[in-house]
Amino acid sequence: MIRIKLILSASTLLFMSSCEKILFEEDLVSTNPHENFEYLWNECNEKYAYFDLKGVDWDAIKTAYSSKIYQGMSEDSLFNVLGGMLKELKDDHANLISNFNTSFYGVEYQAQDNFDWRIIVDNYITEDYYLSGPFAHNFIANNEIGYIRLSTFTNPINSESLDFILDRYKNTKGLILDLRENGGGAISNVFQILSRFVETETLVYYSRIKAGPGHNDFTDASGAYVQHYNGIRYTKDLMVLIDRGTYSSGSLLALATKALPHVSLVGDTTGGGLGIPNGGQLPNGWTYRFSITQTLTLEKKPDYENGVPPDIIIQFDWNDLNKDELLEMAINELL
Amino acid sequence: MFNLIKRNKYRLQGGKQSLYFSSIFLILIHFYSINAFSQSGTTEKKVSRPAYLNIAVGLNISNFRDFATSPLIYSGKPIYTALSHIDMNEKRESHFTLSYSFGKYKSNFNLHASESKVNTFSFNYLELFQLKKLSRSKLNIKIGGQLNASVNHRENTELFNNSEGVDIISTLFGSAKAILDLSRTEEKNKKFLFIKYKANKRKRTLSYTLNVGAVNSSFRNGFAYTSPSAPLNDDDFFAGYELQLFKGFRLNSALDYTVFLHNKNALQFSYIWDAYRTGGHHDNFEMAAHIFKLSLLFSLK
Repeated sequence: MIRIKLILSASTLLFMSSCEKILFEEDLVSTNPHENFEYLWNECNEKYAYFDLKGVDWDAIKTAYSSKIYQGMSEDSLFNVLGGMLKELKDDHANLISNFNTSFYGVEYQAQDNFDWRIIVDNYITEDYYLSGPFAHNFIANNEIGYIRLSTFTNPINSESLDFILDRYKNTKGLILDLRENGGGAISNVFQILSRFVETETLVYYSRIKAGPGHNDFTDASGAYVQHYNGIRYTKDLMVLIDRGTYSSGSLLALATKALPHVSLVGDTTGGGLGIPNGGQLPNGWTYRFSITQTLTLEKKPDYENGVPPDIIIQFDWNDLNKDELLEMAINELL
Repeated sequence: MFNLIKRNKYRLQGGKQSLYFSSIFLILIHFYSINAFSQSGTTEKKVSRPAYLNIAVGLNISNFRDFATSPLIYSGKPIYTALSHIDMNEKRESHFTLSYSFGKYKSNFNLHASESKVNTFSFNYLELFQLKKLSRSKLNIKIGGQLNASVNHRENTELFNNSEGVDIISTLFGSAKAILDLSRTEEKNKKFLFIKYKANKRKRTLSYTLNVGAVNSSFRNGFAYTSPSAPLNDDDFFAGYELQLFKGFRLNSALDYTVFLHNKNALQFSYIWDAYRTGGHHDNFEMAAHIFKLSLLFSLK
């Protein structure tokens, strides 16, 4: 009887193990440069959201870069080819990540630098500035304006910080929110901030996501709304400082202000990055990401992916290191 | 432009069809059971079946691959736990099971290690009826159906905005079970090495259950996989999810060795094999699990 049990058990195990191999696709793990190139190119081809807007001929890119792939090439060389291919998308949400390198486009380096924190501290907010959560802030212009610096959207923003800041500057003539060189982070923070500057539910932009492999296969556009915060809000004018380093969530906030009548953008065009990036892995274990959504203006155009333009254009003058021209412009607008 | 709304509408219509099909299937099973028992001159309602509370723990040696995020296979050995209520006798048995597996799955290739934390919740209802024509005194054959819904929650921080995923896989199975009676009907004197002992009478069974997915469905992320809700200031976790019906496959089986104790309780050693693959999605999900578990069956009647 024991023999029957053993035979039955062993047969079951063997049967199931072999079934598994028949039922599932083969293991695709591979360090083959051609296979990894094809995989990444195809993922982008089917899911990247901005080929047409960026004027990228992805088939031509394939021809150009596949000729650089050869059997036996080093990991570093393969990385440079694949990373170079992603750079052609002109999108800092398109990255290749390995243990030894991360590829990026570097949109902020495509225009002049417009921000120096030391100049602001030395000449405007002094060293006594407050740090409330991720915000650095203080009174400027004879206490008539509140200056608020937000360098990233990565860290969570809590209501208490915003309550404190808006209460502190409630008697000012206006606020300046400095988003220069803010590379983005959590989108929820964008809406949390904007909810303090609207009095009613406000449609600020549209968004749509890839829904099929064709370059123009998207879902229908859905509206993004800012709900007004049921508490301390600020109803006077707000100037938002932006530059090419204002990216991703920073750009989304900049785009959203276009729908808010008492908010103006001052500085240089943002870096864009309005598409939400995905995340994935190649057969060789490296990871990647690229934009799979389009953010559209209220006119349902995707153009601001290449950068949200300011309402008041002004550049930093690096010949005078005691003055921030963008900040000065915002002050003049508010006073 | 690809019209997602129309596509979902079509799938929801498919959902109604599936519901009708499932209902008809379960009703047929129910009528079969009444018919089967009326032939034997009794009705199921009058027969009090022994009932058990089954508490199980085990090791789930498994692997998965989600083509939406990676072509690599992730392998792990999560802990498996389950709680069941079982009613069974020779003619009919019903199992209602809730199980939970939790643990880490890893992929380590080309000096790149990735880790995915996976929690799997599973609901299972199995109903089996004796097939008299094939049953013998020592071999009992039962057939029936099983309804299973499994939910995987996966988290892999290396996948950026695709770091979190939930897959809901529901399946209506056609099931068959063979139960071999291995009971010791007489006391025996035995010897292990130099130790002599008396082997008492004991009821034991060895059973094998095979479940073949008849209606396979899945509810998981859409084409782009990433949730479209974040840029919309919307907290809908399942935004963009797609329901696929009559697509994919699932197959599972269980080999159980059960020893009934004198106090009517029982011990059960099991090997469960479960394999499934979603269908209809652009990038499908597949998982295979080998579960070795020990169960304590506490008699309730």
